[in-house]
Amino acid sequence: MVRFIALVVIVLASAGGASAGAPAGGLAELVAEGERWWKSSPDPRDPVACATCHYDPAETRGWAASFPKYRPLPPPEGRVMTLFQANAEAVQRHYRLPDAERPALAITAYLTSHGAGTPISPGIVAGQAVFESRLRALAESVARGERLYARWCRSCHDAGAVTPAALLFPAAGNGQVESLERFLGRHRPELPRLGSDGQPSADVIAFLMSRLAGRPVSVAPFSVAP
Amino acid sequence: MIHTVLSIFLALWLAALALPLGADAATVITGIVRTQSGQPLAGLALLEKGEIHNNRWDRGTLVDTAGRFRIELGEGGQYGLHVYSSGYIYKPNAVRVETGKTLEVEVVLVPEPTRANDPVIKRVEFGSSETGKGKVMIVKMEVSDPNGILGPQVLAFNAATGRAFAMAPPRWVWSLKSNYPDGVYQLDADISQSPSDPRDWHFVVADHKCNTTDILSFPHKLQPPRVIQR
Repeated sequence: MVRFIALVVIVLASAGGASAGAPAGGLAELVAEGERWWKSSPDPRDPVACATCHYDPAETRGWAASFPKYRPLPPPEGRVMTLFQANAEAVQRHYRLPDAERPALAITAYLTSHGAGTPISPGIVAGQAVFESRLRALAESVARGERLYARWCRSCHDAGAVTPAALLFPAAGNGQVESLERFLGRHRPELPRLGSDGQPSADVIAFLMSRLAGRPVSVAPFSVAP
Repeated sequence: MIHTVLSIFLALWLAALALPLGADAATVITGIVRTQSGQPLAGLALLEKGEIHNNRWDRGTLVDTAGRFRIELGEGGQYGLHVYSSGYIYKPNAVRVETGKTLEVEVVLVPEPTRANDPVIKRVEFGSSETGKGKVMIVKMEVSDPNGILGPQVLAFNAATGRAFAMAPPRWVWSLKSNYPDGVYQLDADISQSPSDPRDWHFVVADHKCNTTDILSFPHKLQPPRVIQR
């Protein structure tokens, strides 16, 4: 019962006060928007889009389930990132948009929808090489996230009860959509800002997702063909 | 009967001694490069040693016209495999090779649709110089990028030695993720042990968005980039 109440509270909060049954249309539209960002460059002079190189749906199906994970950006930028953060970095670099948040959120929703049903396996994509150094970096991120969670979250939220709520993001409500990273950043304004693009929010999410390993990725209540 | 069994065991033992141990077997990355429609592509396959995008270039090889390549490695471990073919967006791929084993990969490249955003190699020059450490070949390459987003992949490959190099930028760059400047990049290659022939050198440049120049090979004459029709 306590778990149920905790989940409902998180869903309500994530929807900005909207009812827990936030209209699915918001998410469906976000996924469709993400598919457009994925398949079309915003710059007609440079038509290379995400899907130009990552054209194989089988290749990308496991991506959502594999985050957070170490992204091997050129040193010293390589670090553990969430899917949203990795998408924001890629959108900034490839599409050169001044504000990457909305397209990154939409692409996150699209890839999550595309990977629905895949068992969550942070740091690992089925069929791809596993690198110990990256898994070590992820384990360190999970440990940092656990400490952050203990300091900032556990007094109100039992981790066992609240972690499934991480699967409800990106979340829609009141015509708004929001990433888990953004939600964590604004959830407790009196606490130090996590920053939706920063390492602390990646660490907290890495901790939460580590507890969800094996569960299927979901973007209920709909799915969109890739 | 006992003699027969002993003889068989002895023969098997001697045969085992004659076989190379796993640790002595070659450590190899081999692969095939092709288009989405399955056509083989010639080009270059270059390796970073360690985590991909660390810019620590190690070995490489030419990809033949059948799309095949083979790189023998000094040791197993993690490598960043980068495959280039003229007119195509280069493909980075993090791989792990076990010592004494052969890793086989398949690389599919997609064409750069316009070539308008590709970096440009403007010229390559070779010279030589005597230094305190011996004789060096100096390679200078002028490079520009239409969008000002050059990355650290201003690369030279010596097919005679199988070594790949990142050329030094004309001025200091803050980080590997910074936009690298247009200008003349330089490589000082040690030739004190053996001379080097410009015919062995191949060059390629990629920017931060994976837009890639054509591979420039001997006689290092520039050609207008060609759009590959899908």
